[in-house]
Amino acid sequence: MLRTAIPVALFVFQLGAIVYARFVPTRYFCWAPYDTQTDYVATATVNGKKLTSAEFRQRYRRPPRGFDNRAPQHVFDMLEQVEQKRSRPGDAAAIVVKYRVNGKELREWRWPPPSHP
Amino acid sequence: MALASPITPVTPATAPPSWNPLKFRGTPLPTELLILVKVLALVVLLVNHVRILPDPWLPFVPGVDRIPPILFQRTLQTVFVTCALALLFNRRVRLASLVIGATMLIAVVSSKAYYGNNKTFCALMFFLTGLYVPGRKPWMLQWQLGLTYFGAGLNKLLDADWHSGVFFENWAVNRLHQPWYMALNSVLPPMVLARLMCWSTIVTELAVVPAIFIRRFQPWAAYANILFQSGLLLFTGSTFTLFFYSMSAASLAFVTWPAEPVTVGYDIDSGLVNRIRKVLQFCDADRRFCWTPHSRDVGDWFHLPIGNRVYTNFRALRMMVLLNPITYLAIATLIAPVADVPAAAAYRRVVVGSCLFFLMPALAWIADRILGRRQPVRLATTGVANRVTDI
Repeated sequence: MLRTAIPVALFVFQLGAIVYARFVPTRYFCWAPYDTQTDYVATATVNGKKLTSAEFRQRYRRPPRGFDNRAPQHVFDMLEQVEQKRSRPGDAAAIVVKYRVNGKELREWRWPPPSHP
Repeated sequence: MALASPITPVTPATAPPSWNPLKFRGTPLPTELLILVKVLALVVLLVNHVRILPDPWLPFVPGVDRIPPILFQRTLQTVFVTCALALLFNRRVRLASLVIGATMLIAVVSSKAYYGNNKTFCALMFFLTGLYVPGRKPWMLQWQLGLTYFGAGLNKLLDADWHSGVFFENWAVNRLHQPWYMALNSVLPPMVLARLMCWSTIVTELAVVPAIFIRRFQPWAAYANILFQSGLLLFTGSTFTLFFYSMSAASLAFVTWPAEPVTVGYDIDSGLVNRIRKVLQFCDADRRFCWTPHSRDVGDWFHLPIGNRVYTNFRALRMMVLLNPITYLAIATLIAPVADVPAAAAYRRVVVGSCLFFLMPALAWIADRILGRRQPVRLATTGVANRVTDI
């Protein structure tokens, strides 16, 4: 029984993720590998000090310049969630990501968002 | 000339599984699924995947990051290596497969830095094989492959950059610097090749889905899967971490290995055939082939009846290579340990291209047409030693 129920539950979850992906910019668990190429350059300043490449990599677990083969929101998610969930109390971080999706026009993403107090 | 005596088959079905990693009999998993998980276990060990198993970091499941990170990571790593080794040495293979799959799935949901489609798919191949019910078809592995192609095809179908070819143009030119693509692209109107590549990918991925679910098309689905994944590797030179291995290995869920040893007739009068037989016998750790000599008058160098089909000469040789599970371990061993340096991409292309060239049906068919002997008409009969009778 469990040997049927568990795979079926896994398939239902994945089908749900495939449908959910139609309504959000992320592509988690919906089988969209290598469907988008994002090249980006990010800079981060924490408490007034600009992070070096090594410091950036240690804080966000990805290089400050590189490629991601999934939706750009996956990159932003990681940067944003580090600041929301893992930064030390009192840390004031500012991140700027300049990026291109599939080689198209240059865009910019900022943390905190411009409307943030 | 001495007659070679047929080799006594075989490990009895009830014998305990061997510790020899080159043997594939005696476990609760059928040969094809055991090959699948053993190849993947070998690959994850060869690429040292254990080193990137994560500590909890931005988990998908809330609360996982409250577990002490070192304890979490070391536990995952210990369980992972233990299960991979258990699979290779034929120990509690279903349990080991289930646990290594669960370990990788836990790793996937506990770290956004580790998360990846390739790791998720590999984990599911292990995990779903661990849930296999003996005597039934591995439907869950087939469904998983179908769902993966459906998700991938649908996402591309609904993406404007895939409709226009923008994705492929950027990927092939700016990211991969793919010389074949750029050379061909330069003689064609702009974006024609990019659109062609994008749409052929979408059509292939979506066409494979019904083929996976309709039984009589499943052999085509398995072929299409192998050709598509091999095509990706030939184009990029990359295995996409574990993706190439686990997607290709999923094709094994569509084939069934002969349960009993198969009888191979061979030309006792040919020195070359005898040398080839000795090599194949040496590599046949499971004693899957029962060798029976015949005289040159029979007409075939090799003669291999399986079920209601009879393979002869080069086609028989090809089938013997394909039916030997060691072949798949050897291919994985040739590709996986190579470090990610520029020459590695060319090397992988040569290995995969050679495997396609030698193991796909075309070469054996052509070789038999050109070099094969005239074959007498024959009737394959079942029964003792699958004897073949000329008529």
